[in-house]
Amino acid sequence: MQLIVGVLTSVLDAAPALVFAAVGATLSERAGVVNVGVEGMMRAGAFAAAVAALAMPTPLGVLVGALTGALVGALHGWLCIRWRADQVVSGMAINLLMLALGTFLLEALFSSPSGTPSITQVPLWFGHSPFTWFAMVLPFIVHVAVYRTPWGLRLRAVGEKPSAVAAMGVRVSRLRLGAVTLSGALAGLGGASLSTSTLDHFEHHMPSGLGFMAVAAMVFGRWTPLGAAGAATFFAFGNALRIGLASSAPGLLEVIPQGALLALPYALTLVVLAVQGKRAVAAPAALGTPYDPELR
Amino acid sequence: MPLTDTARRALPSTLSVLSALVLCFAATVVTRGELGIAFDAYVAMLWGAIGDWPRLIDGADAGVILRPLGESATKATLLMFTGLSVAVAFRVGLFNIGAQGQLMVGALAAAVVGAGVNLPAPLHVPACLFAAALGGGLYALGPAWLKWRRGVHEVISTIMLNWVAVALIENWLVVGPLRAQASGDNSISGTAQIQASAELPRLLGDVSRLNLGIVLALLAAVSTWVFLTRYRRGYEWRAVGLSPEAARSAGINVDRAMLEAMVLSGAFAGLAGAVLVMGTELKYPASLGAPYGFDGIAMALIGQGHPLGVMISAILFGGLRAGGTRMQLFGVHKSFPELIQGLALLLVAARMFWEQVVSRVFRQKPEVRP
Repeated sequence: MQLIVGVLTSVLDAAPALVFAAVGATLSERAGVVNVGVEGMMRAGAFAAAVAALAMPTPLGVLVGALTGALVGALHGWLCIRWRADQVVSGMAINLLMLALGTFLLEALFSSPSGTPSITQVPLWFGHSPFTWFAMVLPFIVHVAVYRTPWGLRLRAVGEKPSAVAAMGVRVSRLRLGAVTLSGALAGLGGASLSTSTLDHFEHHMPSGLGFMAVAAMVFGRWTPLGAAGAATFFAFGNALRIGLASSAPGLLEVIPQGALLALPYALTLVVLAVQGKRAVAAPAALGTPYDPELR
Repeated sequence: MPLTDTARRALPSTLSVLSALVLCFAATVVTRGELGIAFDAYVAMLWGAIGDWPRLIDGADAGVILRPLGESATKATLLMFTGLSVAVAFRVGLFNIGAQGQLMVGALAAAVVGAGVNLPAPLHVPACLFAAALGGGLYALGPAWLKWRRGVHEVISTIMLNWVAVALIENWLVVGPLRAQASGDNSISGTAQIQASAELPRLLGDVSRLNLGIVLALLAAVSTWVFLTRYRRGYEWRAVGLSPEAARSAGINVDRAMLEAMVLSGAFAGLAGAVLVMGTELKYPASLGAPYGFDGIAMALIGQGHPLGVMISAILFGGLRAGGTRMQLFGVHKSFPELIQGLALLLVAARMFWEQVVSRVFRQKPEVRP
């Protein structure tokens, strides 16, 4: 019983970062822009939030984190849309750049590459971090926005057949740029939750692969906001269960190695993809192709 | 002024790298608050890369040249193999983000064969290299098969397999079944140390860490280039990369070409892991600790997917990385060259931008690409 309560509490605390990033990635990819740069955007958000919180109240710092994420998202969008950069290349470039930039700035600003000084964490609301509550609401907000509003209809259409949206008189580039920027903002918010709520500072290896796990959750959730959030929660649950078992039932982990449990979210995503096969491709049709108005 | 095709292909990368160098210099000036320090840091990086020539002229021994060159070569070896890995897959139109995972499998294979098998050195080194190439190749076969039979995009499947490799190797095998036995008081992390016969021979003895790896990497780059440009199969691969439909209608077996290229790509990544273990780490450490496989993406892109381009960019960034360790003295973190590399990659990604710049400067129409 104690194990169950412990696991559920740690899911509530650990899932938000993953949920924000996964839902954000969904927005970008539904608009047709591949986003493997989530990891870098989260890192930017986590770093900016922690640094800003040194100088201002932490909630404002979180806002700075989300805005920084949005800025990095906009950079990704600008490269992919204005300059038709390869979207995977641009995303990976952002990951590598943010990885190095974080370390560079830590050394330059704090003369210590291990992390920022401690900040006051975001105050709790009803026993949990505000991020937790927001992460419970956000997927539904995004779901409604994507499936029940004209903007959402256009967003989905621009990921399937951009020329049709252009024919309607909607600017494809603006719509896509907006989606990628929003995606970056959510990834930045996820990163900010790591450095201001999960921990009380930015640590040099943040977000240590959570961004890629968010991409996995997005694919696992078949490119839908609710699916992505569900998968993210499921992955966080698996992780919490592993940590819970490690402390309460160490004997079990001698039978099932921890590494195997850690590999599970990724292996499961692969299995699901392999089973689905070509029959049911959930990915948007125009995902990864830059829109070229001259190629109609 | 007209431009040759080679110059046209090389210009975007060259300009990107130069811009990245300049922008990062500016970042150092801003953060350190002084022009002189940034300048000194860059000079230190230069001597750390190509050898400390001023000190040689002042009468120091040849070690001041050979040591840095050895470090540069060691770093370039790794970058060259991972870069070739990504570039080979690019040639058939596949994006192998999984070089990281394949490298880990290769490194583990080399560490296991290097420690556990008894062979004389002339056989032991090739055996380890073969095991690593095989391991990396087989690990890349998974995504190739998934793409071929099940239509799973290789970017997604290789990202997943990277993390599967991290979890299974670094969180299980290396800390569990394959962990080195503690000898005496020292608790050792990582796998058992490889035998001396499995170490890559050093070319200059104890003066420098320069080892056989760089020779292997250069051979790999040149033979890949020869293969792609002079052999029928290489021509088929390039045709597949340019247009799978056209290649298929010309009678080329597209699926086989993609499968083969992906396995070769994985083998190169595996060899990168092997030179890391056999030349530098001498075991599989508790954690590789750096995104070596992702560096390969940067090398492949900056090298414009051309084996010789990869070779040049690996030598350049290998040098910068070796030199970067000396920047610590000036309050710049030793990962600074990775910042340069990341920025250069981001700039290379905006290929169209450079094409416009080049066409405006040289008054030619930009190349029309499908």
